[in-house]
Amino acid sequence: MKTFMNNIMYSLQKYKFLMSQLVSRDFKVKYKRSVLGIVWSLLYPVLTMAVMALVFTNMFKMSMPGVNYLVYLMSGLVLFNYFSEASNLAMSSVVGNFSLLNKVYIPKYIFPLSKCLFVGINFLLTLIPLYAIILLTGTGLNWYHLLLPFAFICLFLFTLGMGFILSTISVFLRDMFYIYGVVLTLWTYMTPIMYDFAMIPTQLQFIFKLNPLFWILYFVRDIIIYHQVPGINVWIYCLLFAFGFLFIGMFVFKKNQDKFIYYV
Amino acid sequence: MKKTKKDVMIKVDNVSMRFNLGIDKGFSLKQGFVNMLDPKKRKAQKEAKDKNEFWALKDVSFEVNRGEVIGFIGSNGAGKSTLLKVVAGVMKPTKGKVEAYGNICPMIELGAGFDSQLTARENIYLNGAVLGYPKELIEAKFQEIVDFSELHDFLDVPVQNFSSGMVARLAFSIATIVEPEILIVDEILAVGDMAFQKKSLNKMMSMIKGGTTVLYVSHSIDQVKSLCDKAVWLEHGVVQDAGDCEKICKKYEDFVNNR
Repeated sequence: MKTFMNNIMYSLQKYKFLMSQLVSRDFKVKYKRSVLGIVWSLLYPVLTMAVMALVFTNMFKMSMPGVNYLVYLMSGLVLFNYFSEASNLAMSSVVGNFSLLNKVYIPKYIFPLSKCLFVGINFLLTLIPLYAIILLTGTGLNWYHLLLPFAFICLFLFTLGMGFILSTISVFLRDMFYIYGVVLTLWTYMTPIMYDFAMIPTQLQFIFKLNPLFWILYFVRDIIIYHQVPGINVWIYCLLFAFGFLFIGMFVFKKNQDKFIYYV
Repeated sequence: MKKTKKDVMIKVDNVSMRFNLGIDKGFSLKQGFVNMLDPKKRKAQKEAKDKNEFWALKDVSFEVNRGEVIGFIGSNGAGKSTLLKVVAGVMKPTKGKVEAYGNICPMIELGAGFDSQLTARENIYLNGAVLGYPKELIEAKFQEIVDFSELHDFLDVPVQNFSSGMVARLAFSIATIVEPEILIVDEILAVGDMAFQKKSLNKMMSMIKGGTTVLYVSHSIDQVKSLCDKAVWLEHGVVQDAGDCEKICKKYEDFVNNR
């Protein structure tokens, strides 16, 4: 176990530069030729959220007693968007880089990892509009916000694990790109992003609790909206799901990575 | 770095490489279910699978000592390029083992990882990182790369606006700035216009003759003869003969002429 960890550390150190190059490539390509450039990272979530807030507060008359709905919605969206974008990009990262894998030796885990990091930087930028909303709506800050990085790291590790699993499957089964699109849509509605979890019938609630994102959202909202430290069970669920998925993902990826080259 | 006696740089030990030619193409869920229910079809499919199996390399073994230049000759599809990729670590052999003691510069295909939307300057860093160069090396050699490629005026132009010759010049210049311990070359690459072709050929020659260990694949027997100390003759993934360059080349030429 120790040498395994050492190997990972050595490899990360060695390929740090390549990783930073891949992440910066993604950034440059993403914003090349757009007039506003990186401002879109801030503007895009704000505009999407504005649309959703308009729809849900005015058309569906959504409201939650004692809670600012805007902050509730925005916190859910920011976290879920990270997951959906990063897992999607990570899924196609191995297939998309086949021409590279076929020519030079690069450890293959670099591709899903660099995508999760790239979207992670974008995610940090979207925290700016989130905090703007928190302050503007008078929800207010508290010292517990310093615990939020825990949830973000869990979200990152869980997403990375999913990225490993998805990128492996998609090499062998290209249908996965379409299947996962449907799964993600379902996932959006199975996660309490836009609605209150209390609206779900009690006998169905256990299904929702199997969703790792449920617990990460729970953790974040406990702090941001309810100004309280999440219960110990929430911490444990977050940790278990994050590391559980990460290890499954690493295992699946490592076990299959030598076969990737045959499925070009 | 481990050193064994005689200073062995590369050790290829009983390497076999299998490809499944029709692997995922025939797979469908429906077919899978049908086969599950019908043992006859299942058997037929297994036979088809065996037929589709293709051994690109069969029990290939050889050793390369420090400073040796080894040429690989053989017909198209003999497994030469696959062998180089296995040694470079791009592919893992189905059976057998490859050990290399030293940093490898694989000049198998140039320009891996170029992003056409990025500028030449950005691509130098990206491609360098893909080839495993440390940041300091690229910074130190940046000017040398630009000088060699002669693309001073186009540094900040996206590569998609380059002519194919210019892209090849850039790729060549990046790939050849290192002084590797093991150089793997798949056909000597002379790229660009006539002047640059001459320049790149000279550069490759000086790299090969500069005392590094070289694995070299070529269809030009004359070049193999003039550059290599030893030769390995591959045919259908099997080593036909290996040893002194002149002797092996002669045998191969006889084989080709008598076919």
